[in-house]
Amino acid sequence: MALDIQPSVTGTTGRLKLTGQLDGASAPAVRNEIEHLLTQKLDRLVLQVEDLTFMASAGLRIIIFAKQRQPQLKIYVVKPQEPIIDTLRKTGFYDAVYVQDTDPGDEASVN
Amino acid sequence: MTERSFEGTLDSLEPIRDYVAEQAAEAGMDRSPIYKLCLAVDEIATNIVIHGYEEAGLSGDIIVQIIASPDAFEVQLWDHARPYDPNLHEQQSDTGLDLPLEDRRIGGLGILLAKDSVDKLDYVSTPEGNVHSFTMLLKQAGTASNGSEAT
Repeated sequence: MALDIQPSVTGTTGRLKLTGQLDGASAPAVRNEIEHLLTQKLDRLVLQVEDLTFMASAGLRIIIFAKQRQPQLKIYVVKPQEPIIDTLRKTGFYDAVYVQDTDPGDEASVN
Repeated sequence: MTERSFEGTLDSLEPIRDYVAEQAAEAGMDRSPIYKLCLAVDEIATNIVIHGYEEAGLSGDIIVQIIASPDAFEVQLWDHARPYDPNLHEQQSDTGLDLPLEDRRIGGLGILLAKDSVDKLDYVSTPEGNVHSFTMLLKQAGTASNGSEAT
């Protein structure tokens, strides 16, 4: 199946729920959504990938793009499937992002 | 041997993966090695489309040939694009993998993944076309030596 992208923003947390397959054909759409999200003041980008069944290196390049745009951005990868975890480990991305089983939630505003 | 021809465009990436996965499953390969094989094929097919065809101002097909034997499952990608030898292009090295993300190079990740995902990746450019060959060795029915699942 192609890729379905559902973006949302809550406070300073941007989220992209990705369903389907992320490859060279679908990557530009993801990059466009991230570019749009980063026009807002975000501290965190949460990639919800529980239903992402395939991710090529194009997905990794998107993560690099986001970090180069905003070096202080914390990137979370939530519930990746095992083959995608393997890709993240092989390429050194696993320790550079926050891989977790649950959504980090929204940051409480600090007064 | 079976083969199927696909347009050399990014829209063909998913159909190519589906075809390879379907043939690999019929040959008895398990899900993990199938995923790795499809990843490798996808990365190289992407390079063929972008660097071999589009950037070179060319157009053409990618022919996928499948050669299955009891000991190995081989996928060949044939193209008539500008030659693009994955062994000659720099892939991200082990030292580069530790860099902070904002300092990482964009290129080379696909070739790194492709080479690491299959038992053998060969390339040759011939007058009949360029050929990438991906081989998964089958230790026993249903497993592959690269990423094999314990039974």
